Amino acid sequence: MLVKNPYLLKAGRVEKVIKECEGIYTFHIATEESAVFGQYNMLYAFGKGEAPITIASKGENYVVHTVRAVGDVTKHIDSLKEGDLLYWRGPYGNRWDLERAYGKTLLIISGGLGLAATRWVFEEAQKSPVKRLIHLYGAKDYDSLLYRYLYKDWNNRADFRIVLSNPHPQWKGKVSLITNLLKELDLEKDTIVFMCGPDPMVKACIPLLKEKGIDEDSVYASLERHMKCSVGTCGHCMIGPYFVCKDGPIFRYDLIKEYFERKEV
Amino acid sequence: MEGKGKGYTTTIEGLKELFEELKKDYKVIAPTLKDGVILYKEVGSFENIAFGYRNTEAPGFYSLEKAEGYFTYTHPANSPKSFLHPPELTLIKAKASQEGLVFEEVYPEDKMCLFDLRACDLWAIKILDRVFLEDPYYQRLRSNLFLVAVECTYATLTCFCKTMEKGPVPKEGYDLLITELEGRFLIRAGSKKGEELLVSLKTKREAKKEDFEEREKKIRALEEAMESFFNIREVPQKLYSRMDSSYWEPVEKRCLACTSCTQVCPTCFCFDILEKNTIDLRESERVRVWDSCFSPSFATVHRFNLRQSIHSRYRQWLMHKFAYWIDQFDTFGCVGCGRCITWCPVGIDIRQEVKRIAG
Repeated sequence: MLVKNPYLLKAGRVEKVIKECEGIYTFHIATEESAVFGQYNMLYAFGKGEAPITIASKGENYVVHTVRAVGDVTKHIDSLKEGDLLYWRGPYGNRWDLERAYGKTLLIISGGLGLAATRWVFEEAQKSPVKRLIHLYGAKDYDSLLYRYLYKDWNNRADFRIVLSNPHPQWKGKVSLITNLLKELDLEKDTIVFMCGPDPMVKACIPLLKEKGIDEDSVYASLERHMKCSVGTCGHCMIGPYFVCKDGPIFRYDLIKEYFERKEV
Repeated sequence: MEGKGKGYTTTIEGLKELFEELKKDYKVIAPTLKDGVILYKEVGSFENIAFGYRNTEAPGFYSLEKAEGYFTYTHPANSPKSFLHPPELTLIKAKASQEGLVFEEVYPEDKMCLFDLRACDLWAIKILDRVFLEDPYYQRLRSNLFLVAVECTYATLTCFCKTMEKGPVPKEGYDLLITELEGRFLIRAGSKKGEELLVSLKTKREAKKEDFEEREKKIRALEEAMESFFNIREVPQKLYSRMDSSYWEPVEKRCLACTSCTQVCPTCFCFDILEKNTIDLRESERVRVWDSCFSPSFATVHRFNLRQSIHSRYRQWLMHKFAYWIDQFDTFGCVGCGRCITWCPVGIDIRQEVKRIAG
């Protein structure tokens, strides 16, 4: 009985490096590997370990990862230059159920680096038969805004709104919380919602959506948990009976509510 | 084959012959005496098996004394997990070179025989088989395994395989099954390779009706003597309805989060992957090591531990064993071996906790 080794690493050349802001870089990594929006890869740093990083987007022969340098692994990745090799395995996890939003309103809510996990499906939604496409993006500071070079294009194709927690002299837009932005929205009851952001943001949005008549089974959230194996055997990412690494990272909210909202599950 | 068919009886010399035969092809792991505890270890000679000891176990208590007979103990303190899912196992070796990194898959090639496996541990292997179904490392070790099971004729105070419906009688999954009778042993085969080995044994005679009757009597006596602590069918749903921390807080003051239970557990599979580097950083091994949901780093995301309180970690562990596991692998994660009760330094009894919380 020969089983494929899930820990084998592949090499990909770094084709492009974009500095998003201090300590956050976006990489285009050459690969022929197929993947779908919502999935993630395990990126490896020699002698340091691995980190699960969402696939921010995908071109024909490359995959896009946005990495914030917080630990040993991500610090190493952020030091890579064009032409360097990046080692990784994947893709892992499930995808956004974009088809459910066909003919309906799709609301995407992204908080901070969560935008990396919604970017690809947002781009795909722009080309899909979604009736109305709204994307709320909340960031802490002006300096931490990701993908500024895409905003013009996104604004032309969708209703893309940004809110910052802190004011900045150059920022002419809203300074508030993403929940306040959500409150102001007029939404149909059959709206489909995709969310990725810090756990408290996801939790705070749920009752507001409920007030607008949007049920929990129309809401999807991409979660972040401690992961080591990515194939449902190391146990770290468990939330209730689910392994975030293979049953997720995207969950229909009503299925995880019981575990997600309860403290310390 | 359930081992109900043709059987043979043999003497202790016959078992020694069997052991010697197994040693030709396998690294034989059997119960041995170490530091006053019976442990599974690789044994070089038949005489090193811990025959003739009886273990007394209770919550937070373990002792050994001499006893009449051979398979007079229950199960060792460690479990087959230590050999099939070793505490430390190298997965991949990475080497830095001019052209980039070179990776080498490292597979354990051991051909092992687990000699003297009880019903609980046999089931634990069946459970690990499901968890590591797609793990090439586990599968390598598993496919080369020879299993000699032994029927328990004695239970300690922490044994509860009957409650978990996993014992005391081994039902399937073994190559050979041994039952100790008065002055002789009944041996039956449970697989083709077991049958072949059994047929080749010189020291044996065909088992008679009396042999089976004597076995039946011994097994029934044990089954009847064992207590039933709760009805497992009701446990998962009840636990799912009792996740509120008020049910779990009483454990907070007792549990030390020492991880002892998860280490002795024959099914606890959680692991971490660490990097083992050479000092010049030219080579690095990716090493799989046991981890525990009781460890504070276990559920830490961005330096924040999602399970700060100890009772939330205990809930994770117990809910996993008795509820989540069923959704994940279609079986309980507990076989009722009782090791976690015996080896808990403060004697937390999982049976009592299940009864209290899901009662």
